[in-house]
Amino acid sequence: MLDMNNQYTRIKSRVYTMVLKSFFNGTLEEDIDKIPFLIIPKDTDPIRCCIYKERAMIRYRIMAFMGVNIEKDDDEMKPLSEYYREIMHKSIPSAPVITTISTACSSCPHDQYLISDACRGCLARPCYVNCPKNAISFANGKAHINAELCIRCGKCMDVCPFHSVLHIPVPCEAACPVDAIKKNNKGVAIIDYTKCISCGKCTRSCPFGAIVERSGLFSALKLLQGKDKVVAMIAPAIDGQFPGNLGQIKQSLLQAGFDEVVEVSEGANITAIKEAAEVVERIEGGEDYMTTSCCPSYMELVNRHLPFLKEKRSTTLSPMGYIASMVKEKDPTCKTVFIGPCLAKRIEGVRLNTVDAVITFSELAALFMAKNIDVREVEASDMGDTTSFEDCREFAVSEGVAGCVVHRLQEGVTLRPMYINGLDAKTFRGMKIWPKRAPVANLVEVMVCEGGCINGPGTIVSPKLALKLRGGKATAPAKAVRS
Amino acid sequence: MKKRDKLLVKICVGTSCFVQGGADLLLYNDFLNPELLDRFEFEGCSCLEACKAVNDADVESKPPFVMINGKLHGNMNSDKLNKLLSDEI
Ligand code: FES
Repeated sequence: MLDMNNQYTRIKSRVYTMVLKSFFNGTLEEDIDKIPFLIIPKDTDPIRCCIYKERAMIRYRIMAFMGVNIEKDDDEMKPLSEYYREIMHKSIPSAPVITTISTACSSCPHDQYLISDACRGCLARPCYVNCPKNAISFANGKAHINAELCIRCGKCMDVCPFHSVLHIPVPCEAACPVDAIKKNNKGVAIIDYTKCISCGKCTRSCPFGAIVERSGLFSALKLLQGKDKVVAMIAPAIDGQFPGNLGQIKQSLLQAGFDEVVEVSEGANITAIKEAAEVVERIEGGEDYMTTSCCPSYMELVNRHLPFLKEKRSTTLSPMGYIASMVKEKDPTCKTVFIGPCLAKRIEGVRLNTVDAVITFSELAALFMAKNIDVREVEASDMGDTTSFEDCREFAVSEGVAGCVVHRLQEGVTLRPMYINGLDAKTFRGMKIWPKRAPVANLVEVMVCEGGCINGPGTIVSPKLALKLRGGKATAPAKAVRS
Repeated sequence: MKKRDKLLVKICVGTSCFVQGGADLLLYNDFLNPELLDRFEFEGCSCLEACKAVNDADVESKPPFVMINGKLHGNMNSDKLNKLLSDEI
């Protein structure tokens, strides 16, 4: 995955803030078609071929930010102002949450292994000896890989003493754990939505920014403009994403227009209590293991790829599910906005009828910037009595969910937990054989993002720093975090 | 060297800077050359107001901002900070 603070993420945050500023000014409809020209003025040094393409890309980013399904609804003749009018007047389906900008895709060549000039055609020739497909031959004193025979196992790369074998991946394909990205006949990446689990890893791996999330922010903005009370439900991972403590984040949200702020950790407490009871009941009933159910991308993984886990996963609702029903029970007329690090939560939000919008931390950051709210400078608001669920803020970190469940077991019961800390193609293959070889554990915590939700696609700061800012009280060992 | 002889490096942790890459600069202990760490004093500071005057044609005018010995630098990243601080001594 790309380092989070690259040129592309900065452009994105610039686009978001500019659109929002003009939205709050009430002038977005007039301004919106000018924004690509303002962000890419005449004298810019283009990164792509020319400033015209750069501007076209800004246009697509604005569309994605408004939630347009680019793959399906792109019409180059249609001005952005018209898209904007449509978005404001009707609600559009949130699935799929990920869309591709085909003209941004650079049609990377297929994943391949190449022998570089560093090859010295040595005597030992470990590449030749270790290649399982006899794909390596020698000419002019150098090794050569026959692409037709090569199965891209990488053995030659591992054994070459001169590091002369290069692996050139296709970043989006390599990032996708479930093989949902393919190329069309022009070599452009396309997503197979029957396979996609909305984990968002591809959106963070494409160096051209060609795979993007459709933002849910405009749905939230419409709610904020409406007359109903709007409740912000902040995910446990929010701590550490902004320069300030939770009380200051709460106050900033109130200033941004939300009427009330609740912590999703409060719902996580219920999830943990119920899972603790459920796992014991299942074990007593003779089942071998139960998996957690709070990661929405994992839920999609089970639905689409691993149906045998349907009966193994906990039937408990996610923390978002519980907190949203609590909020709606108290005030059925209010609207709920989940603020988290996750794109798949939007899919879960559609399934539940208690969640009205889902936005990410980076979208919230744009909202704060557009409204000139400086989180660090605001007076902290009181978080209320959080003692009963405080430890559930650890739901955001790998090993934290299982930890909270274990703490809520009846006395005398012990569990053997196991952790799926991040899903990649290899872990996925491992899970496929569980029906034959069950995990050696009775509680399996699954998090599709490595390190936990603090490494989700909608986060702002690196997990390493987030852990530090969260006070380092994480139950997860440092290994959980990519440094 | 006494503490007050150290030059001051202010890392802006106003919201604009923080969410656009400034946060990562707080890991300076990890990415700066160790010899630089003794020569400077680091602190997080409130918005330096530079984020209010971004000029789109000029990358250097963009967040995140850092102030080294009273001088403002934009578009900061770990490599650039290493270089600027080495130049300073
Ligand atoms: S937030 Fe850094 S200059 Fe304003």
